[in-house]
This record gives sequence, C-alpha cells and structure tokens, in this order.
Amino acid sequence: MNTAPITSWDGAEVYYTFADKPAVVGFLILAGVAACVYTIFRMAAHEMHMAKKHG
Amino acid sequence: MEETTPDLEAQIAALEAAIASVNTLNIEIFYWWCTALMLAIHAGFLAYEMGASRSKNALASGIKNLLAFAFLVPSFYYVGWWIYNAFPGGIIPAAAPGALPWSANMGPNLADQASGIFYAAFTLFAATTASIMSGSVIERIRMSGFTILAIVLGSVVWILGAAWGWHPSGWLTSVWGLHDVGAAGCVHTIAGFFTLGVLMNLGPRMGRYNPDGTLNEIPGHNMPMSLIGLMLIVMGFFGFLGGCIIYTPDGWLTIYNTPTTLSAFAFNTLMGVAGGMIGAYLMTRDPFWMMSGALIGVISSAPALDLYYPGLAFLVSFIGGVIIPKINDFIVVRMKIDDAVGAVAVHGCSGVYGLVMAGLLASGYLNVEGPAISFTGQLMSAAVFVLLGFVPGWVLSFVLKSVGLLRVSQGVELAGLDKVEIPAKAYPEAAVPAFDLSPVSPAE
Repeated sequence: MNTAPITSWDGAEVYYTFADKPAVVGFLILAGVAACVYTIFRMAAHEMHMAKKHG
Repeated sequence: MEETTPDLEAQIAALEAAIASVNTLNIEIFYWWCTALMLAIHAGFLAYEMGASRSKNALASGIKNLLAFAFLVPSFYYVGWWIYNAFPGGIIPAAAPGALPWSANMGPNLADQASGIFYAAFTLFAATTASIMSGSVIERIRMSGFTILAIVLGSVVWILGAAWGWHPSGWLTSVWGLHDVGAAGCVHTIAGFFTLGVLMNLGPRMGRYNPDGTLNEIPGHNMPMSLIGLMLIVMGFFGFLGGCIIYTPDGWLTIYNTPTTLSAFAFNTLMGVAGGMIGAYLMTRDPFWMMSGALIGVISSAPALDLYYPGLAFLVSFIGGVIIPKINDFIVVRMKIDDAVGAVAVHGCSGVYGLVMAGLLASGYLNVEGPAISFTGQLMSAAVFVLLGFVPGWVLSFVLKSVGLLRVSQGVELAGLDKVEIPAKAYPEAAVPAFDLSPVSPAE
C-alpha cells in the first residue's frame, strides 16, 4: 500500500501519510474518536461490573 | 580577489536564509523543551495526588491522572486547538482552517514548523487543567465520569477561556484590556471553579464530616510523596511559564505581543514561589501548605510576571500565601466542600486574586490591542473566568450524577477503589514482616 502523498522530497510540504486522501484522513479521525468513546464506555462497564462483583 | 556585487548579494541572501532557518529551529527547540519540562507538572500531580490519597486508593488516584493526560492529547488534537484559533471574538467561531484536525498544518509538513510545537505546548496546558481538578475529587469519583469531565475541561472549557483572554486578539484583552501573561485566569481560575462545580455535585468523602457538621481529617498515606510531587509541579512551572512567552527572531513577546524578556519571568517566578511558600508557612506551619503556597505564589504573580518589580511580586505572592489557606478553610469548614487538596482555593482563588492584584498594581500599562490594563478590566475578566469554569463544571457533573456516572457506590468507597477496580497493588508487601523469625530459612 502506497501511503505517501509525495513522489519527491524536492519542494515537498505536507507529507504525512494519506495527506492526499481526505476521506482516509477523515476516517482515521473518526476511528480515533470512536476508540476514545469506546474505551470510556468499557471503563464505565468495568466499574459497574467490579462494583457488583464486590457487592 | 574582489567579489562582485552579485556575489555579495548572493552571499547575503544565503546568510539571511541561514539565519531565518536557525531562528525557526530555535523556536521549535525552545517550545519542545518547554513541553518536556511541563511533563514534570504531571509527574508532580501524579505523586502529589497518590500521596494525598489513603493507601487503599493510591493507584486509582494515579490512574485517574494518567487517564486525564492520555485522553487530553487526542481530544485536544481533535477539537481543542481549533477552539483556541476560532473563538477569540466570543462565541461565534471565526474561520480557522489550519487548526482543523484534517488540515495540512496538523501533521508533518515541511512548510509549517509552528503548528505542531504550539499544539503540543497547549496540550500540556490543557492536561494541567484536568490535573488541577483531579486532586480535589480523589477517593470517590468514578473514573469514567472523571475522564468525561477532564476532556470537557481540558479540550473545550479552558481553551475557550484562553481564546478569549490569553490570545493576542481575545476579546477580553481587545475590549477590556485584560493582562494575564502567565495564564492565571484561563488555566487556574477556570479549572479551580470548574472543580468547585464538580465538588458540589460529587459530595464529600464518607466520614469527612460528622452529623453535627464538624470536620474529620483524612490524611493521605504519604506526605513526603506529596511534597516531592508539589516540588515537581513548581519545576514544571518553568516550562509552563516559558511556554507562555512568544519566541521571535527579534526578541521575546508576551501572548499579547507586548515586549518582554525571559529575565523578567525569571525574577518574578522565583520571587513568587518564595513569597507564597513563606506566606503559607507563616499561616499554617504545614509542609503541604508550604508547597501549595509555592503554587499560590506563582499563580498570584502570574498575570503580571512581565511587569512587576520583583520585590512587589514577592509581596503579592506572600499575601497570597497568607490568605489562600484561610479561604480554603472557609471552603472546607464553612461551606462543607470536601476539596481533598485545596485546588479550588489554590488555583481558582489564587487566579482571581492574581488578576485583581494586577489590575491594582499594573494599572495603566499599555496593551498592543485594546485599552490599557485597568482594575475594572481585570475584575470583570476574572468574573468571566469564574463563570466560564463554574457553570460547565456544575452542569456537566449534575448530568453525570443524574445518570449514575459521577460517584462510586458506598461499598466501593469503603473497600477502597484499588481493591475493587485496579488489577494491581500499590504496596503488596505492606503486610509482610520485614524479616522472618522462623527457624527454617528459604535456603534450607
């Protein structure tokens, strides 16, 4: 998979992976937000589960 | 050998390009190390809050701190940096395309050596606001609820205040002449009063108050660890305050584009630390409050660090160190708000005090944009910061309380959060004797 947005370092500016594919960048942002939200959900579930288990 | 004019011009152009390149690199390097130094603040809060917890809650307090930092980094990337750049005018966002997380500036880009390093420094400021809250709520808050509060405080609320009052074009400065170079208002006042709103809904730790309203002390399990943590926070403040200054090829500027020097900040930061420590010692004789006094001292002088005569900064901070512990007594004893580490007073009230003192003692200094510093401008700005912190903190914690996400159950609180929630032990050998008197040694 070629993730590079540049074909030469001469005159290169923005060069991060997928910089030329805004849909992919948008997906990565949404996936990152989802990872954070999911972790907070799991955190809350862990708290409730352990509290119930502990009585 | 004679050089021709075109040769000389080419050499001068090359030299100028080299100087410009070095200047850009210097800027990056300066803020890189400020950011690294600011991490000491978080190491400090970690030690400070674990030490201030009872041993049954030590790791839970630490994890809470680590979570705040970890969640602040991406959430500030996704929304925080954009809020700072889009909202200096108030509540209507201006165009700030370069700060959106999908822009060309928000990632490796050879044409932009500023966005990343400033994002990093601001992220550490953001994490500081969450750490300010985290100590107050130890031993009874749910981690999930705390994490949500930390994200909203660190990636939305304080940075909106920073856009308004800690930005060259922020409306508090351009309209009211606010001067707060060390971010006492947007960081400390907002975080302190956000915390107050949360504490009002969270309630005190079990056993903190007797039925007749009298107070029980709940000492932390490791005061030396707390003291070392507080000293680390003071050390990290040198990164924090360094990050408050704009490095330019022509010299140093405050966030408001007025000229200053690192020397000015060095004089008054140190005098502020010392003044606050001595004042707090005078009033309490308590090492915990002496080190909190160092923070009080820095925050008290922070709004006019660039302007004060050092002897004046010392006295402003000394008086802060004298009065803030008393304000904490009022909050904890009279108002019955169980602030486990005094963050509302140390950060929230010191911030207000510092802003008001700058209005009294630095009145008349000119701003680049907006009117000169004035008492009324500082006072009104402090009121904005108080409300901007308190209202979201109270409302969000009320919502979390309503859905059962704010506080752990009584059983969990009694048992200790570490035992129930954490798959590790802070002191696994605490119940093991130091040596075994049995006749059989392990070797046999």
